[in-house]
Parts: sequence; C-alpha cells; structure tokens
Amino acid sequence: MSIRHGLLALLSGGPRYGYQLRVEFEASTGATWPLNIGQVYTTLSRLERDGLVAPGGADEQGRAVYTITEAGREELERWFSTPVAQTDRPRDELAIKIAMAVAGDVDVAEVIQTQRVATMRALQELTRAKRAATAGLARRLVLDAQIFKAEAEQRWLDHCEAVSKEKTS
Amino acid sequence: MTVVSLRDVTREHGEVRALGGVSLDVSAGELVAVMGPSGSGKSTLLNVAGGLDRPTSGTVTIEGEDLAAVKDLAALRRTSVGYVFQDLNLIPSLTAAENVMLPRELDGVRTGRARDEALAVLAEVGAAEVADRFPEELSGGQRQRVAIARALTGERRLLLADEPTGALDTATGDEILQLLRTRCDEGAAVLLVTHEPRYAGWADRVIYLRDGRIVESGAVRMESAR
Repeated sequence: MSIRHGLLALLSGGPRYGYQLRVEFEASTGATWPLNIGQVYTTLSRLERDGLVAPGGADEQGRAVYTITEAGREELERWFSTPVAQTDRPRDELAIKIAMAVAGDVDVAEVIQTQRVATMRALQELTRAKRAATAGLARRLVLDAQIFKAEAEQRWLDHCEAVSKEKTS
Repeated sequence: MTVVSLRDVTREHGEVRALGGVSLDVSAGELVAVMGPSGSGKSTLLNVAGGLDRPTSGTVTIEGEDLAAVKDLAALRRTSVGYVFQDLNLIPSLTAAENVMLPRELDGVRTGRARDEALAVLAEVGAAEVADRFPEELSGGQRQRVAIARALTGERRLLLADEPTGALDTATGDEILQLLRTRCDEGAAVLLVTHEPRYAGWADRVIYLRDGRIVESGAVRMESAR
C-alpha cells in the first residue's frame, strides 16, 4: 500500500496539515488501513526531501501546512497511470501452506475446510460493513476490493479441493 | 421462531442418494446460505424444504406443519413459501404486474386487490416503473426483481432462492441480495442456494454440503447482525 501516493493525492486537492491528511486518508479508504500520525509525518518529510511536497508555512492555528509541488503532481500522475505489479505483493502464505499440505502427510481437505470457514467469516464481516456503509462511494469500493479478494481465495480453495480429490480417487 | 425445520432428511432418486440425512432449522429473520459443489444436493435440499419434492425419509416442518400430513401442498406453496429460481421464467404473455398477481389470483384473491398488492410489492423491490411492461422488455436485473416480487406477494414468511443472481453482474447481484436481506430483516426466513461466495457473505449462517451431507455448519455460525 502506498501511503506516499495516497498523501500526494490528498494534497493535490489543496494544502493540508498532518492530522488532516490522516483523517482524510482514513475517511476515503474506510479506515481499512489505519495510519498513525507518526507514519504521516515520516512520509511527509520523505516527500519533502524528494521535492514532491513543500512546507507552506502554518495556518491560523499554527499547524504546519504542506503543499504539493509540480514534481509531486507529475509523480502522482505517473502513479495513477501505472498498473500495480503482481510481483510487488508479499509471498502468499496460504498457497505455501496448501502446497506443503499436498506435498506432505497432512489432511488437505481439513486444511482447506478450516481456511474456507475463516475466509467465509471474513466475507460475512466485510459484507456487513458494506451494508452499514451507506454513505461514501470510496469506502464502499475499498470494501468491494476486499470482498473480491476473499471471494477469489474461496474459489481457489474450492478448486484445490476438487483437484486434490481427483488426484486421490 | 423456527419457520422451516428439516430432521434427518434423506432423498433418493432410484439408486442415487441426493440427501443423506440432513437436519437444519431456519428461523424468522435468518438468512442461511447453502454452498457446495454441483451434485452435492443443494437444489434438492431447497426443493424438499419448500415442499416441491418429498423426502424419502425424515420430516420437513413449515411453521409447525409437518409436510407429510399436508394434503394440498400446492396451496401451501402458494401461500406460505416464495420461490426465486435462476431459470424460473416469468410468463412472457403477462406484464410484470400480472405475473406478480398470478399466484394471488390462483388463491382466490380478487383482481383489483391482487393488482394493488402487486404494485405495492413491485414498488418495494424497486420495480414500480416496469409494472406494465412485458418480460422481454426488461433487463435481467429487472426480471429478477419481478420474480422476487412474485415470490414475496402475500404474507409469505419462507423465501427459497436458488442461484437468484444467476447471470447478473455483481453490482446487480448485490442489489438482489440487498432485497432478500431486507425482507429477512423484516422477519422472513430465507434459504439461499449459491455457488458464489460473495453472495453467501450476506448470510447469517453458511452451510456446506458435500455428497448430500452438511459439513461442519456450526463453525461458520455468526452472531446475528440484529
């Protein structure tokens, strides 16, 4: 997840101070990836170092305000126009677990069913959150992203079960 | 309160055992999803639960009535149970409203009243504007809404849905589940067969069928949302 680009995107809408960035980031992603204020300031100082944002003085209450630079806008544009690579994601623990179960002396069907129950529970919770999220398209779409991922995992588990059954029968 | 109850239900088609001893209760206000690979007995379970098919052994009770003792299953099906099937087509020569009115008219309700009821339930499912159109003039999502309206008309407290999201896109499928969920939250018992995990996610409880038997349903139970 790119906090860096998330903050740039928020700053492209106008100058903001640190706490405000945190609140808006969580509002648009539905607090799916909670940010602590330390992460926000660390990220802002790196962005400043790289010339993508500039400190813009303080507002009337003395809070340090940041502004996106021209280089920052270009970086943001590049981010939006570049697809996310599959290989940027960490190793898939579940795939490794199932692979090890199949290779070893483990009841694969049991491992699959245990995961299926847990993934379904996650899907139920996500769906409930989606039903509660009546306002806010951004939040709903973030929840949908997680629902599609959980669904893909569930389908893959069904596939694993069917295929491993064929192999053993 | 339990609306439908299955006890040790088996169903054999000749040599083939479609259900191998299933026990299941669905309460008012509860949405239960049934998942499982094709041939696992999902649709048979739904048909038996709704009195469309009789079990080989075991008992099915709807609102306290043992179906084995019910002489006129057709009447019970028209008045207590609503069905939504993927392929249960609307009658092409009737408008949406007339399709919804049909089961009520068959039950002896006067045309005027049946039409009022139909318009009310079509409005409830967000299909008021298509009431006087014919099925072929409707989109897939609209047709399914009308089919759900038909399943809801009258005071039916058990709703059975077999792949109701069939060929619909995911956004429309979600709307259909929202409808079923709303009905459920108002007190209906809903039994939903689906092979799509995303729709099972709307349920209070998900059961998995394997070779006509329930696998570990207890583990998937969730606290009710209400």
